[in-house]
Amino acid sequence: MMNVDLKARSSPLRVLDGRTKLIALAVIFVLVLLFSHPAYIIGLLAFVMIVWVVAKLPFQMLKDLMSYFLVIAIIILVVQIFFYPGTTNLIKISKPLPAIGFSGFITLEGIVFGIAMVLRLVVIMIVAPLMVMTTPLPELMLALVKLKVPYRFAFIMTTALSLLPSIQNRASIIQQAQLCRGISYDSGGNFINKLKASVSLMIPLILGAFRDSQTLEVAMNSRAFGAPTRRTFLLDSHFSTVDIIIIALSLLALIGGIALRIQGFGTY
Amino acid sequence: MKDSQQSEQIEELKQEEQSENEVVASPAPVTVRTYKAKGRVFGMSVAVLAIWAALYIVSSAIPALPVPGMAGMITINAIMTAISGMVLGPAAAIANAAGGIVSMILFPYGFSAGPLGFLTVTMGGLVAGLLMANKWVLAAIFELLIIGSWFVNPQSWQTGMWMVPLPYSAVALLVIVIKPLRDWVRKSIITQHKVWMWPAIFLMCTTGHAAEFLTTNTMVNWMFNLSWQYWVPTLPYWIMVDTVVILASTIVGVGVMIGLKKARLPLFTSTLEQ
Repeated sequence: MMNVDLKARSSPLRVLDGRTKLIALAVIFVLVLLFSHPAYIIGLLAFVMIVWVVAKLPFQMLKDLMSYFLVIAIIILVVQIFFYPGTTNLIKISKPLPAIGFSGFITLEGIVFGIAMVLRLVVIMIVAPLMVMTTPLPELMLALVKLKVPYRFAFIMTTALSLLPSIQNRASIIQQAQLCRGISYDSGGNFINKLKASVSLMIPLILGAFRDSQTLEVAMNSRAFGAPTRRTFLLDSHFSTVDIIIIALSLLALIGGIALRIQGFGTY
Repeated sequence: MKDSQQSEQIEELKQEEQSENEVVASPAPVTVRTYKAKGRVFGMSVAVLAIWAALYIVSSAIPALPVPGMAGMITINAIMTAISGMVLGPAAAIANAAGGIVSMILFPYGFSAGPLGFLTVTMGGLVAGLLMANKWVLAAIFELLIIGSWFVNPQSWQTGMWMVPLPYSAVALLVIVIKPLRDWVRKSIITQHKVWMWPAIFLMCTTGHAAEFLTTNTMVNWMFNLSWQYWVPTLPYWIMVDTVVILASTIVGVGVMIGLKKARLPLFTSTLEQ
């Protein structure tokens, strides 16, 4: 099991307000879904990579992420190359196979569209860690509350995060106990054994955690959780001039992107 | 003189007693919503939801099945989503969403839909939770919305694409809509019938998992424009993966439901019994 690292890295992006980063993330996400032309998506990818360099995030992380999504990227590419309905034939592979929807040719449009979809996947996958790795999680939660996300929801998220180490600890204790009883968590075991191992871990983990929830509930009630008072926060955040400039630029990019899309640009 | 003073005191005491009696006899005060009510969401304590979200995050770090053709692997959080509805009721949607957002950030390999990946687990918890709470109309509306969003995509009108959402979404819809079946599933789970609890939990897990995977499929289809040449040939494979997840969820679900009830721990079905 992986251990969670809740510390944000030191980076120039850390000075930005969490809300600014959330808005920028949302804009990039919308823009990458808006365009299907590789040139536009390459532009977005280049921008994200520049921010990645500025944020001083390790490229090893990019490599790890890519390895997770390599299989689906290859599948997306192959499906589009062979089956995208294109008109510019490049390479003849076989006779037309109408039963599987294959024209017999690899088309230019298929290759370009396949590349665009893979690039879209890459942008989608790397943009979220970019924001999160440069924002301490408590600041992220504060940003959510300031963006009018209901406090109870933000509370559930922050409490879950603060409970993570203890639940991970409990999980490893249960794993050790089950190992003593002969249950193998070895990844080389067969599927049924893996399933048994998962079940033997999950049931005691859930029951134990629910028992803890009662203590937490008593503590919350004794502190009058939900009492109608104006809530204050230990941390506070304010927009700086840089934040306002970035938000304005993000919104401008969004409006520009939508306008371009309406004009018919950005698609292949 | 003394007598008159004594009689005055007695009179005063009588008046005090009378006023006390009047207070007791006065109509009961109107019950107001206390702050404790704000510590609950759909009958479940916020503390329990936070614990569930934490469990969800931890389970996202435990890879269970490497799945070729999917982003990364199925983690144990698929089981958590499938059973969340019957454990937490409709509040499962909130707990899953909170856990999903954080785990998507910390362990992104389980989410092929990127930053919106948390929506999939939210829908899974919501549909199963609404069914458990007998809010079947809402559950049916959400399930139909999920199925509808698959068919809104022009890609879904290609050859054989209608089959993709069918296997388990159809079962889920039938469980939600057919009253005797729905009542039997709910009753078997609430009363924890020794025999019928197993198939009932299987159907409940099917409902939760079907909502989750179809939301994922729809989102992936919209984002990456996958055609029938991907979906249709791989359909038997996905049915197998979903069956395994649902079976595993059933085993875990039965254990968790029995354990929580025996230990008198918070459980949505307990609020229904009350």
